Amino acid sequence: MQGNQLLANLPDKELKRIQPFMETVEVGFGQHLLEYDRPIDYVWFPDTCVTSTVVNSTDGSTIEVGLMGTEGMVGLSLALGVEVSSATVFAQIAGRATRMRAEHFRKQVLEEGGTLYKLLQRYTNFFMAMIAQTAACNTTHLIEERMCRWILMTHDRVRQDKFPLTHEFLALMLGLRRPSVSKAAGVLKREGLIDYTRGSVTVSDRGGLEARSCECYKIIQGQRSRIFEGVRAGQRCGNTHSDIHTPQSRNQ
Amino acid sequence: MSAYIEKRAMKENQLLARLPDAEKERLRPYLEPVLLEMKQGLLEEDEAIEYVWFPHDAVTSTVVSTPAGHTIEVGLMGVEGMVGLSLLLGEEKSNTTVFTQIPGHATRMRAGAFVKHVKSERGPLYDVLQRYVNSFMAMIAQAAACNSLHPVDERMCRWILLVHDRVGRNEFPITHEFLSYMLGVRRAGVSKVANELKMEGLIGYTRGEMTILDREGLEARSCECYEFIRKTSESHFR
Repeated sequence: MQGNQLLANLPDKELKRIQPFMETVEVGFGQHLLEYDRPIDYVWFPDTCVTSTVVNSTDGSTIEVGLMGTEGMVGLSLALGVEVSSATVFAQIAGRATRMRAEHFRKQVLEEGGTLYKLLQRYTNFFMAMIAQTAACNTTHLIEERMCRWILMTHDRVRQDKFPLTHEFLALMLGLRRPSVSKAAGVLKREGLIDYTRGSVTVSDRGGLEARSCECYKIIQGQRSRIFEGVRAGQRCGNTHSDIHTPQSRNQ
Repeated sequence: MSAYIEKRAMKENQLLARLPDAEKERLRPYLEPVLLEMKQGLLEEDEAIEYVWFPHDAVTSTVVSTPAGHTIEVGLMGVEGMVGLSLLLGEEKSNTTVFTQIPGHATRMRAGAFVKHVKSERGPLYDVLQRYVNSFMAMIAQAAACNSLHPVDERMCRWILLVHDRVGRNEFPITHEFLSYMLGVRRAGVSKVANELKMEGLIGYTRGEMTILDREGLEARSCECYEFIRKTSESHFR
């Protein structure tokens, strides 16, 4: 059973062909999968792990510009014909992923140009839109709204109401100082949207978070559903997890 | 100034100019030279893509608009790029809005011809465009970080330098409105920053015309995002 959606949507024949070159591994929290400007050794298809794509500033500050879960692949630069990564990517939620060596990916996916290649092109288009929306969001929206968006996006991918998260980590992802994060988290907690204890956050009111978030969440979510449009390979495994939550489907 | 500035003497889009002769000949019937006017819309978010565009000395702006009415620039393209990357990636509709911010020359190709002769063929133009997608993604990722982390005056310097690289001359028309998109601030904020840079002798800016007075000064004043974006903007040519 294939948890990653890109792989789950492949025709049987194609999946069988590339299966021997794939390896399922456990990815730990904070594990670096790609390093900015370094050669790409593996591409990664997340299953239960969730990854963050970050930009580092020379003064040491970081900010997340995108995240990936089962809908994606880490290592898009390779799929575009570039050998080195244009970003740093690490696991923000530990879990399983399937990985493939760069040389096998080049031969089996890029050169063959099959369904996976086409899906990756579409996914790249989506990921660019996600980064663009994040760029606008970072400029315009309030801390609480951005925080709601981030929690929702992670919630969609981790598919559990409670997941590990510290204020320090969230501050890094949002490019904020930790006190600002704590303050905003307190607001959301008082409003009954989330709960948190040391080291983890719980989504208490999914619908409330969606209402509180800036519109960037809905915009990104809407584009995500287009990736797999028209690619009903008939091979969709019995995976009934819908990563595309509607407000009704994820109530407390 | 960046390497492709010297090439600018040819006033040609670099994606097209650097193609092997055979590829140039093959695509020639489908390429149409055009003049882009200020604020001319090239792509609209969620609308079908009619043309792809290869700027020469025109500079385009990729923006995201919020329902609340804010417009923020997330990237820009010029001589190094192509407008319409969604089409390359297999989508018929654009997921960004792009308009002309600095008027000038460009070459355009009909969407149908692009899909048939570039996308389906996977030749030299296809390959360099794929790498350009990578460059452009890196640019908007840097913008995402920059918009959040860096002060507005440094961001304005970054933007001016990126435009200067692409337009290839020291004077260009730019409206207050566009500057407010680029910086994500209201127009009053734009005037404040512009005046600061004027007083420091870095730029001239009167009646909608900007003049680069001190290039090195602007580079020193800018956040490091300029240098990073400059490098990645050329990386697809290596």
